[in-house]
Amino acid sequence: MPTAAHARVLLLLSSGLVTTRAAGAQVGQLGAAQVLSLVAVGPSVLGVTVISGAVQSIPSLIDGALNIFPSPVVIRTNWNVSPGQTAIVNLVAYFPVPAQALTGGGTQIPSSRVLGRMATGLPVAFTAMTQAPTAGVGTSGGSLQLFAQPISGGNKQSSRTDNLDLELDLAGFPALRAGAYSGTLTLQAVTQ
Amino acid sequence: MHLVSRGFAGAVALAFVAGAAHAQAGLTSSPATVSLTATKASTLTVSPASGTATLASITDNSTANVFGPVTLTTAWNLTAGTSVNLVGWFATPAQALANGADFIPSSKVEGRLGAAAFAPFNSGATGGVGVANGSLLLFSQAVGAGTFLGNRSDQLDVRLNLTGTTTVAGNYTGTLNLQAVVQ
Repeated sequence: MPTAAHARVLLLLSSGLVTTRAAGAQVGQLGAAQVLSLVAVGPSVLGVTVISGAVQSIPSLIDGALNIFPSPVVIRTNWNVSPGQTAIVNLVAYFPVPAQALTGGGTQIPSSRVLGRMATGLPVAFTAMTQAPTAGVGTSGGSLQLFAQPISGGNKQSSRTDNLDLELDLAGFPALRAGAYSGTLTLQAVTQ
Repeated sequence: MHLVSRGFAGAVALAFVAGAAHAQAGLTSSPATVSLTATKASTLTVSPASGTATLASITDNSTANVFGPVTLTTAWNLTAGTSVNLVGWFATPAQALANGADFIPSSKVEGRLGAAAFAPFNSGATGGVGVANGSLLLFSQAVGAGTFLGNRSDQLDVRLNLTGTTTVAGNYTGTLNLQAVVQ
């Protein structure tokens, strides 16, 4: 802000003080009311917590077939946002490197072979993690939007819990060498 | 003066609201993670194209007693080891084939893969697979990091070497076990 403007405001306030002091000297005379607008903004909250299923494992992969991770990932998403500024809360799952969603023994399983399903969200059928980012969250070709929760005054401070089912689709995929394949799926919420 | 003061306060309020709007647009949570692990188990299989080999007529004092060939497919998917071995063996070497109380021992049963020479089933076990004096190592294939996933197909020929032997007429039946082992 320009220094000159500061100087002008300070000068006006000083004049006001002088006027008030002068008014106090005359009994019964009121000074002009001053208006001070107060604005306090609470911090917005957006969180994702994996309640259970943070470690998923398939003990014995079968080539050329669907391989289902046996238990769902239970995810709680909570938020406290202003409905005037936030229309939607999105939950996105993504792999940082889509070509290497799971790796092991020199072999890479891409994210196109990892399918997710959220019966209470958007991908109600198993869908490959090949989507683009949502509102800047995720990776190109390695993401899956799990839900888009509209925000209004009634749910500006709320949460939801969803189950994410995961599977590996190895149909048509070259036979995997014996060994362990591992990777990390990232879950992140973002507002729009 | 009052107008100027109110204008200043209003400007301050707008500045705060604008700041809040910037904070909420594209607000992101901290990432949560799910660890995924999928394991492909080691495998080792032997698959004969046919479960039966037949010799229509036995010729005594001869090696011209060759059963019909059987194609064997051996497949492996390993994480360790230096060789895949295929062993053929008879559970009871003295009674490899039996015709009632008449027996042909495993020492008179010979096998080979492909163009190899016939050899009797009278060796010891390999890697714990087989029985003493009733086994034959059919192949030993070296494997390593680049060949831990592989397979091979072989033709197994089996014959009776009845040189110096006369058999009692009848049907002789027996079971040859085929088993692979990694060493």
